[in-house]
Amino acid sequence: MNKRLLIILILLATFGWSCEEVLDETIEFENTDLLVVEGVLTNRRVAQKIKLTHPYASQNQPEIPATGAVVIIADSDQNFTLLRERPRGSGEYFTDSLRAVFGKAYALIIRYKGKEYRAFDAAPPGQLLPPLKYEPVEVDGPQKFKITFEDSGVNPNYINYHIDWSGTQECVGQPEECRAKLVYYDLKNIDVQKIYAPEKEEFYFPAQSMVIRRRYSISPAYQEFLRSFLSETEWRGGVFDIQKDQVPTNLSEGAVGFFAVTTVVTDTTIVE
Amino acid sequence: MEIKAKQFFLIVGILISALSPFDSFSQNQDANQVIEVDVNDESLKRLLEIIEEKVAVSFSYNPNKLPLSEKITYSAKKSLSEILDDLSDKFSIEFDFVEKQIIVKPKKKVNDKRTSTYTISGYIKDSKNGEVLIGATVSIPSLNIGTSSNVYGFFSLTVPAQEHDVKFSFIGYGDISKTYDHSTAEEVIELKETIPMLEEVVISSGPNPEIGEIQLSKSILRPEAVSEMPALFGEMDVVKSMEFMPGVKAHSDGSTFFYVRGGNRDQNLIMLDDAPIFNSSHMLGVFSTIIPDAINSIDIYSGDMPASMGGRLSSVIDIRTKKGNDKRTQVWGNVGLISTKLGVEGPIRKDQSSFLVSGRLSRIKWIFERENPDLKQLYFYDLTAKLNFKLSSRDKIYFSTYSGRDNYFVDNSGIEWANLAGTFRWSHIVNYRLFLNTTIAASSYDYYLHTDVENNTKWKSHIANLNIKGDFTYFVNPDNVVTFGLAINGHNFNPGNLTTDDPNVQPPLVSIKNAFEGVFYGQQEVKLGEHWGLKYGLRLTTWTNQGNAFEFQFDENKNVTDTLFYEAGEDYNEYRNAEPRLGISYFINSQSAIKLSYARTVQNLHLITNSISPFTSLEVWLPSSINIKPQIANQVSLGYQQSWPNSGLTFNVEAYAKRMFNQIDYEPHAETLLNPLVERELLFGDAEAYGTEVTLKKEVGRLRGWAGYTYSKATRTFDEIDNGETFNAFYDRPHEVNIVSAYDITERITLGANWIYYTGSPYSAPVGFYKFNDQETPVYGKKNNARLPDYHRLDVSATFTLNKPQNTKFHHDLTLSLYNLYGRKNTLFINYNKTEVGENEFKIPANLLEDNRVTSQYYLFRFTPSLTYNFRIL
Repeated sequence: MNKRLLIILILLATFGWSCEEVLDETIEFENTDLLVVEGVLTNRRVAQKIKLTHPYASQNQPEIPATGAVVIIADSDQNFTLLRERPRGSGEYFTDSLRAVFGKAYALIIRYKGKEYRAFDAAPPGQLLPPLKYEPVEVDGPQKFKITFEDSGVNPNYINYHIDWSGTQECVGQPEECRAKLVYYDLKNIDVQKIYAPEKEEFYFPAQSMVIRRRYSISPAYQEFLRSFLSETEWRGGVFDIQKDQVPTNLSEGAVGFFAVTTVVTDTTIVE
Repeated sequence: MEIKAKQFFLIVGILISALSPFDSFSQNQDANQVIEVDVNDESLKRLLEIIEEKVAVSFSYNPNKLPLSEKITYSAKKSLSEILDDLSDKFSIEFDFVEKQIIVKPKKKVNDKRTSTYTISGYIKDSKNGEVLIGATVSIPSLNIGTSSNVYGFFSLTVPAQEHDVKFSFIGYGDISKTYDHSTAEEVIELKETIPMLEEVVISSGPNPEIGEIQLSKSILRPEAVSEMPALFGEMDVVKSMEFMPGVKAHSDGSTFFYVRGGNRDQNLIMLDDAPIFNSSHMLGVFSTIIPDAINSIDIYSGDMPASMGGRLSSVIDIRTKKGNDKRTQVWGNVGLISTKLGVEGPIRKDQSSFLVSGRLSRIKWIFERENPDLKQLYFYDLTAKLNFKLSSRDKIYFSTYSGRDNYFVDNSGIEWANLAGTFRWSHIVNYRLFLNTTIAASSYDYYLHTDVENNTKWKSHIANLNIKGDFTYFVNPDNVVTFGLAINGHNFNPGNLTTDDPNVQPPLVSIKNAFEGVFYGQQEVKLGEHWGLKYGLRLTTWTNQGNAFEFQFDENKNVTDTLFYEAGEDYNEYRNAEPRLGISYFINSQSAIKLSYARTVQNLHLITNSISPFTSLEVWLPSSINIKPQIANQVSLGYQQSWPNSGLTFNVEAYAKRMFNQIDYEPHAETLLNPLVERELLFGDAEAYGTEVTLKKEVGRLRGWAGYTYSKATRTFDEIDNGETFNAFYDRPHEVNIVSAYDITERITLGANWIYYTGSPYSAPVGFYKFNDQETPVYGKKNNARLPDYHRLDVSATFTLNKPQNTKFHHDLTLSLYNLYGRKNTLFINYNKTEVGENEFKIPANLLEDNRVTSQYYLFRFTPSLTYNFRIL
């Protein structure tokens, strides 16, 4: 556990003062045409995806796709790529095979319900992945492992960990139930909220799990977005919380989300 | 109604007498009639009734103009006219015979400046320990004039050159009457504390000092009342007690932050013997630094600030420590669950000099060190000390210091904060009418976040100031007091820098800031006739930023356009402000008054934090400078005050309206830590507040306490927030009810109970959710669009005195406190991003492919019992 957090927890636990419990409360949902954009172009030559959705009313609900938009990606060499919604009605729009190149600036143009949304970003240089660190943990049953998260590199970045144990004997359900996605954000910043963030759940996985790591280098604008994004997600709910506010965006016309261009480094490890 | 009827009959009586033929025969017969009167400690009113019974006459008078409740012991067998002559001298009243009526009226006041006068002045003290009594009443009932002692216990009353019976009174103390002749007198008046009685005590019938003042929006919190209030873990606490005062809103449980009349929390100045205390919290804010044991007085100014006070927009909490018993040594202390307190005071030289040392040390580390071997430090302490020397009958000097510290270290990291304050004061009576107080006060506040103790890596913020001032009070006459003074303040700010011995860490540099402040003020309080009082004043301030510092210039998009460097001592920016103050009072009679006030206040110190946490966090202070303009407030208040001396009740209702300019808010998720460009994160706008506060108070007797209700609104408007729409401030809680009570069941058992209720605080609730990188993220609508559940809480206590206090020099008692008796879950935060991993255990979910988030609420302090043992050796 974060030692600084431990100090606070000790103080709050001193006399059994603090307590958290489930609150049976529903939010007052504002059903608007607010467009949510998630677009992360990478240097990997793949069909790049832009996901368009609308906000949903309560926690854990499925996303509401924004379908029928015209989505275009343009680069600083004035190359234009039209994305197609696949499958229709999914709100997920794909390019043909495309890679974002370091040194170029990219623009996202979305025409949707009479509005034109625009956003810009440029890819920062990539960073090598340090060796994957994991450690065995003592839990009931077969041997389990957990990832050891730590800051690495000199520039802000985040690493997505896709863990798949569907091919192991430990997977007793459907294959999609034997997959996990963990994220470790390393923004190289000092924030009170981050320092005293609430504790994060530990995640254990069995031997022979496949761990695919993707490290995303991030631009200054994307870093700023992620800092706010974490303020409202992973860092929210600590004892030194800050004012709640909308996560800023680089999209015009009041959309939320972010259009980012990143450099990705990836590796795959079988945990033994 | 009764008064109106009497006035009507008086007028009718006069008219009838004017129209009737003068019956001199009847009048002479009545006046010469010999009667016998024998009364012992009866009121004048009763005496007149007795005379009416004995002689066939009736008295007509305006009850508002006569000292009818004044007591007299009188025995005579004389003619009516001789008896009336005696009463005339005694009460300064005169009698006119009109048929069978005797018109009674006060003798005309001697207001002619040419009439010779003399001045009675001095200090009013507690006879037991020599502590000055602040706000004690000095009155001459026969003249219907009076004054009250100032914050140093000093009073001055200039009276016509004749013999006067002067009455000295103070709540909880027995009255003293002294007769003064024609010579100027200066002396120390010692009042004796009354022993609590089970039967309802008769309260002094003298004028209520608060009602008699031309002062509005001032609350007096007696340290004795604080000590009687039930407290969390039995830790009696001045700042926490203030949340029960109408107009003062607590942040929440677990916090010493408070808000006054729609102002932000940095707009309250807590002064301990004139030295500011920047962070009044221990253990993140669960307890405050100021304990009542060493406190003499607590005055809360929430609107109509005297011109001598300023520097904050919303309130000044003027706390004066005891000077120490100059008659005998006494020791006191207590042992509670959290801390141990010990104090000792006594004379250095009897009646001439004294000392006081009071300390508190927490005892909580041992609870955790076994289970947490990494625990290095876990404590807080307070230390207050004061020395008092009487150099001559006209000169006194005081030294007082306060030091408080919190240290919490686990393994290689920790947090700590420390307050240090010191005051030197010289009180000098220049002459019988002119009082001078010279003060040098210094204070500092440091906050540290240790991230790597081994490498000495720590973030530190700091604020300090040095204040030198002279305050003059000139008592022109009892109805005319002039105060004036000047001050110079030096301020030093470190808005947070990281220092380390690790050569690989190169933190950004945030500029240290310095400022110099000059203050001049003047104020006159004058009574205009019997009913009107006027107070007007002006406070002039100059605020100058000084090098060594660097400042950034920004364009309209907040991009840096230039960096300006200033040499040490170089003045580079100045703000000048005038703060007019005005108060008008209409004294309906000695027990009721209507008051109106206007105050403009200016603030040049700004707390920079976008935290919504109730706990002390890593906050920084910045001065007004190139990019931050002074905060300014205009406030108008209208109040009605009424007291009922026989029952000891006072009623106060006050309405206020306040506008605040250059208020600070923040860009979304502003980066306030280690950010050299932190000024770029600030938004500037206006705020408005209005409300009505109602209080019914009873300070003495078997049942004591107060009940208050507040209706208030507090809103803010910023161009960059919600497109310039007005939004509710966090501390906008329209309805608040406070009930504080203490009741003596027997001489040795006292019960206490507090109940507080307020509307839930506004907060920003999501209006939807979306996902980014599979992480559920809230969408927010308008700022502070929802409210937390309403807050309410009942605390009770019982104090058992363990011996008979009258018969021993050793007093001890045991207090059982039950905080939040009915276990209300008062919500502190509502979170939407956690998952329940065990019973009431919530964490941030790790696997983003699982949709298992819940809405959770976080609260503190349900039913919390505690036991405290107090002792006092006299």
